[in-house]
Amino acid sequence: MNQNNRRIRNLLADYGIVIAFFFLCIGLSVANDNFLTWGNWVNILRQTSINGILAIGMTYVILTKGIDLSVGSVLALGGLVTGSLVTGAAPHSAFISMLAGLAVGIALGAVNGALVARLSVAPFVVTLGMLSVARGLTFIYNDGMPIANLSKDFRFIGQGMLGEVPVPVIILAITFFVFWFILKYTTFGRYVYAVGGNERSAKTSGISTRWVIFTVYVISGLLSALAGLILAARTTSALPQAGVAYELDAIAAVVIGGTSLSGGVGTLSGTLVGALIIGVINNGLDLLGVSSYYQQVIKGTIIVAAVLLDVSRKKQV
Amino acid sequence: MRLLKIAAMTLALSIAATGPSWAQQKKTYNIGAAVYGLKGEFMQLWATALKEHPAVKDGTVKITIFDGNYDALTQNNQFDTMVTQKYDGILFVPIDIEAGAAGVEKAAAAKIPVVGSNTRVNSDKLTSYVGSNDVIAGEMQAESVIKAIGGKGNVVILEGPIGQSAQIERRKGNQNVLAKYKDVKVLEMKTANWSRAEALSLMENWLTAHSGKINGIIGQNDEMALGAIEAVKAKGIDPKSIPTAGIDGVTDAVRAVQAGTMVSVLQDASAQAQGGLDVLLRSITGPSYKPRSDIWTKYSAQGLSWGDGTAKQFNIPWTPITKANADAMLATRK
Amino acid sequence: MIPAELSDSAQLIVTDPTGIETGTPLVLAKGVTKSFNGVPALRDGCLELRAGSVHALCGGNGAGKSTFLNILMGILQRDAGSICVKGDEVNFASPNEALNAKISIITQELSPIPGMTVAENIFLGREPKHLKIVVDYPRLFDRTERLLEKLHFDIDPRAPMHRLSLAQTQLVEIAKAFSHQSEIIIMDEPTSAIGENETEILFDAIRSVSTQGAGIIYVSHRLSEIFTIADQYTVFRDGGYIETGLLADIDRRHLVRQIVGRELHAGSRSTSKTDGETVLSVKNLSRQGEFQDISLDVKRGEVLGVYGLIGSGRSEFLNCVFGITKQDSGEATLFGKAIGKGSPGKAIRQGLQMITEDRKATGLVLSSSVAFNTTLAALPKLSFATYIYRKKDRSLMQTMIERMQVKLASPDMDVSGLSGGNQQKVVLAKCMATDPICLLCDEPTRGIDEGAKREVYAFLVNFVAKGGAAIVVSSEAPEVLEVSDRIAIFKKGRLAVVIDGHQASQEELLHLAS
Repeated sequence: MNQNNRRIRNLLADYGIVIAFFFLCIGLSVANDNFLTWGNWVNILRQTSINGILAIGMTYVILTKGIDLSVGSVLALGGLVTGSLVTGAAPHSAFISMLAGLAVGIALGAVNGALVARLSVAPFVVTLGMLSVARGLTFIYNDGMPIANLSKDFRFIGQGMLGEVPVPVIILAITFFVFWFILKYTTFGRYVYAVGGNERSAKTSGISTRWVIFTVYVISGLLSALAGLILAARTTSALPQAGVAYELDAIAAVVIGGTSLSGGVGTLSGTLVGALIIGVINNGLDLLGVSSYYQQVIKGTIIVAAVLLDVSRKKQV
Repeated sequence: MRLLKIAAMTLALSIAATGPSWAQQKKTYNIGAAVYGLKGEFMQLWATALKEHPAVKDGTVKITIFDGNYDALTQNNQFDTMVTQKYDGILFVPIDIEAGAAGVEKAAAAKIPVVGSNTRVNSDKLTSYVGSNDVIAGEMQAESVIKAIGGKGNVVILEGPIGQSAQIERRKGNQNVLAKYKDVKVLEMKTANWSRAEALSLMENWLTAHSGKINGIIGQNDEMALGAIEAVKAKGIDPKSIPTAGIDGVTDAVRAVQAGTMVSVLQDASAQAQGGLDVLLRSITGPSYKPRSDIWTKYSAQGLSWGDGTAKQFNIPWTPITKANADAMLATRK
Repeated sequence: MIPAELSDSAQLIVTDPTGIETGTPLVLAKGVTKSFNGVPALRDGCLELRAGSVHALCGGNGAGKSTFLNILMGILQRDAGSICVKGDEVNFASPNEALNAKISIITQELSPIPGMTVAENIFLGREPKHLKIVVDYPRLFDRTERLLEKLHFDIDPRAPMHRLSLAQTQLVEIAKAFSHQSEIIIMDEPTSAIGENETEILFDAIRSVSTQGAGIIYVSHRLSEIFTIADQYTVFRDGGYIETGLLADIDRRHLVRQIVGRELHAGSRSTSKTDGETVLSVKNLSRQGEFQDISLDVKRGEVLGVYGLIGSGRSEFLNCVFGITKQDSGEATLFGKAIGKGSPGKAIRQGLQMITEDRKATGLVLSSSVAFNTTLAALPKLSFATYIYRKKDRSLMQTMIERMQVKLASPDMDVSGLSGGNQQKVVLAKCMATDPICLLCDEPTRGIDEGAKREVYAFLVNFVAKGGAAIVVSSEAPEVLEVSDRIAIFKKGRLAVVIDGHQASQEELLHLAS
C-alpha cells in the first residue's frame, strides 16, 4: 500500500463517522425535499437533545471503562420529582424544583459511583441494579400515576423557543460545551482518559482514581436527571414509565461516535455526531415513511459498522 | 427456601380442602389477578378498582395481583404458581392473545375458573370475558375525527405496537369507518408504541413531511394523541384546528377534552375489573350469587345486562368523554 | 483432534530427532525480507539452527528479531528469501501450520485463561477424553503432573491460573510449549518476568530438552543469560543480519559492540558519595504477608540498590513507600516529613517519584499520546483550579522529551507506537516532569535493549550527581552491581544486610539473597 492510500485510510478512520454523517444527510436531502429545511432541523435537534445529553454523561462513564445502564430510570425519577413540585394549585418555583430533580440525579449517581469506586463492584452490575431500583422508586413515588398540569415556567425548558432555536437544543449546546471543555482543558478530563486507559498507571501517576470514577457516575446521574426534566417539560407530564431502554440509544451514540468500550479512547464531539446520526436516521425514515422496524435494523447495522471502523484502525497501528 | 414455603402452603391448603367442614364456615376466596403489567395508568386504575369491589372490602375475597411485567413467559409462570397454590379463581389480563392460552388451559385442567378482562385471549377454556370491544372504539374515534373535518381531507394514524390485540382491533375499527369515506386519505400510519414521547417525535416529523396537509389525527390511545398534540403546539399550530382523537380516557386526556383540544372515549377500567370479579365469583359459588358491583346498574341503559352471569362475553360500553362528564371523571381519579 | 503421540505412553519430550541427517539444520533461513507500508522491517534475515543447540538471537529493539520470528511462526508472511525446516522449504500461512511442523513459541505476552486450571491451560484443545467427548480429568492431571515433574517446575496442576504469580505463569507457558513435543522451540524473553531461582530451573529444563535433540532459539536482552545457556549466537541490527558464531569464541564486550554497532562506555562510577544529607528514611516498615520491619536510609547523591529473589518483598516494599499500598506499621519520611500513606499523589507532591516494574501495566496509559503521558503526573502544577495552561503543558512536555532523548515522529502519536526503550524513556520523562528529589525504580531496564539500558544507567548517575537520591530494585545482579553505591539484600520479606556496592560481587549477592 502506498503512502497516499494510507493517508486516505487514516482520514477515513479518524473522520469516517463525520463523512458518513454527511453522506447520510446528502442522501436524505435528495430523497426528501423537506429534509434540509430549518423547521426539520429544529425537529432533529430537539429530538436529539435528550439522547444527546444522556450520551454526554455516558461518554464520561465509558471513557473510564465503565457503563451506566441506569440513565433511563434516573431520568424518569428526576422528571417525576421535579414534576411533583411544579404541579397543582400552588406550584413551587420552576428553578428550585429543577434543582431538586437534579439533586435526585446526583444522589443516585453518587450511589452508583460509590459502589463502583469504593467497593469495586462491576459497573455493569451496579448500574443494572440501579436501573431496577430507580424505576421501582418512580412507581412508588406517585403510585405509578403520571403527573400532569406542570407549570408554564417549567414547561418552557422543554417547549420554549429562544428566537428560532428550541430551548432543549440550547440546553444541549451548553451542556456539550461545558463538558467538552472539562474533558479537554482540565486535569479532571485528562484523568478520565488516564483512568480508563490504564487505572494502575493512573494511580502511580498520583491520580486519585476512585475520586475520578465516583465523579463520572455523579455526572451521568446529573445529566440523566437533566434529560428527565426536559422530557417531562416536552411531553407536558412526568411519566413513571418514561425513558425505558434509553440507555441503549445513549450507549449507541457513544459507540457510533468512536469511543472505545475498553476505555481511554474517545471524544465528546464524536458522541454528539453519533447522537445526531441516530436522530437523523429516525427523522429521515419518518419523512420517507419507512417502518420503524427498519429503523431499528439500520441503527443496529450502523453501530456494528462504527465498531468495525474502530477495530480496523487499531489493527493498522 | 421459597420452594419449602410453597410446599408447606400447598400442604396446608390441601388439608384445608379435604379437611372437615368447619374450615368451610366463612370461606375466604383466594383470587389471583394476573395482569400484563402495572406500568401504565390504565392498569393502575384497573387494579385500584378491583380492590374497591364490595366483596374485597368485606373480606369475602382476598386478591393477589401478579404483575406480568409485559412478558408472556412471566405470566405463564404465574399461572403455574396460582395452580400449585390452588387459587379459587383467576382474573386474567393477558399480554398476548395467543401466548395467554397455555395458562388458561393449565388452570382449566386444575378446575380453576379463569375470567378474562380488558384484553382478549384466544382460548375456548376461558370461563367468560369482560371487556370493551376495541373495534367499536376504533370506529367511534375515526367517526368523530372524520365528522370534525367534514368528511373529507387527510388524516394520520398513530398505531399501538403491531400485533397486540388492541392495536389489531382498533385498526379494524378505524378502517371500517375509513372505508365509508372515499374523500378521506390516510397520509401516514405508523406505530408509536403507545408512547407519548415517541408519538411526539413522529408527529413532528410528519408535520414537516406533510406541512399544512394534515387535517386530522387518529391516535389509537390517549398517550399518543397527547404526544401528537404537543407536536402540533410546538409547530405553532392551534391544536383545535386539527381534530385529534384518542382512546382510553387517561387523566391527561380528560383534561385535554376539557380544554377542547381532543376527543376521547372512556374505557372503563373499573367496570372491567369489578364486572370480571362478579362473573368469576358467580362461576365459583353457583347460581345463588348476585352481582355486587354497581356497574351493572350504571350501564344497564346502554345494554349491559347480568342475565344469570354465565354469558361467555360481557361488553362494557365505551363512554364518550365530554366537557359535561369530564369533571365527574376527574373527581373519581383522586 | 488429539495427536497420536500424546497418548499416555508417549514421551513428553522429543527424544530423537528422527529423519534428520547430521549436518541438515533444523532451521535454515536465508535473505528473509519484510516491509510494512514500504518501510523495511527486516532486510536480510539469516539463521541456522542445529539440533541439540541453544541458539541466541541477539539485537536491540527494532533490529528485526520479532519480525523474523513472526515469519518463522507463520504469523507474518515474508516478502522474499527462503526458510527451510529440516531441509524442506516451508511457508507457513498460520501459527497452526508451524505448530504442526513442531515449532512452538513462548512469547513475552502471556495468554493464559485465568479461570482454568494449570493442567487445562497446558493441554487446552488437546485434553485426553472419554469417548472423545468428556474430558478425562484424572488422566489430564496425571499427565500434567509428570510433565511438570520432568521439567522440575514446582506447580500444582490443579491450581487455577489466576492464583499463580507472573513467574509461575511463565513457567506454565514453557511447559505448554514442551508438551507440544516441539523440535524447534522459540523463547522470546522467557525470563523477563521471573527471578533467578526460577531462571535456574528454566535453564535446567532447556538443557534437558536440547541434549535430547531439540533446537532452541533463545531471545533475551540479558547478556549474562545468553552466555550461560546458549552455545551459538546470531546478531541482527537495523533489520539486517550482522554475524553468527560460537559464543565460546567471543566475549561480552564483542557481543555488545555487534548489537549496538558502537563501543559503549560503561556508566559505572568509582567514587562513593554517601556523605550527603539523608533524603528518604524508612523506619520499621511492615505490611502483613509482604515484608517485615524494614529500616533504611538513602542519602543525597546516592543510589541504593535493592536485590532479592522473587517473593523477597522488594517490589512490595517500594510500592508501599510510594503509597500504592498502606503499611500496617512503621513509617517512611522524606526530609523528616511523613510520606502520605496510601496516596501516591501526596508522595509526588513531596518530591518522590516511582518508575514502576511494568511500564505497560503500571507505567503508561498506552491508549493515549506521548504528550499526554509525559505530563500526566505533573498536571497539578501546570493548572489553576483544574484548568490546564496549555502553553505550560506543551513546553514542559517538549523539555522532558528532549532531556530524555525520546525518539519519536510527533509527541501526539500514541505511546504504544514507540519501541520498548523509548517507552521506558517516556516513563522516565513522566517521572522527572514532577521534579522529584528521590526516585524509586523497580526494574528500570526490564525488557529494553542494551543500548537503552546504558542510557538509563547514565540517567540515574546523572540524577544522583545533581543531588538526587535513588532506590533501584532489580532482579539482575549485574545491574544492581553496576548502579549501586550500597546494596540492601532482601530475603523472605526482611532486610538481610546492607553491603558496599563497589566491593560486592555477583556470587556474593546470590549467596546472601538465597
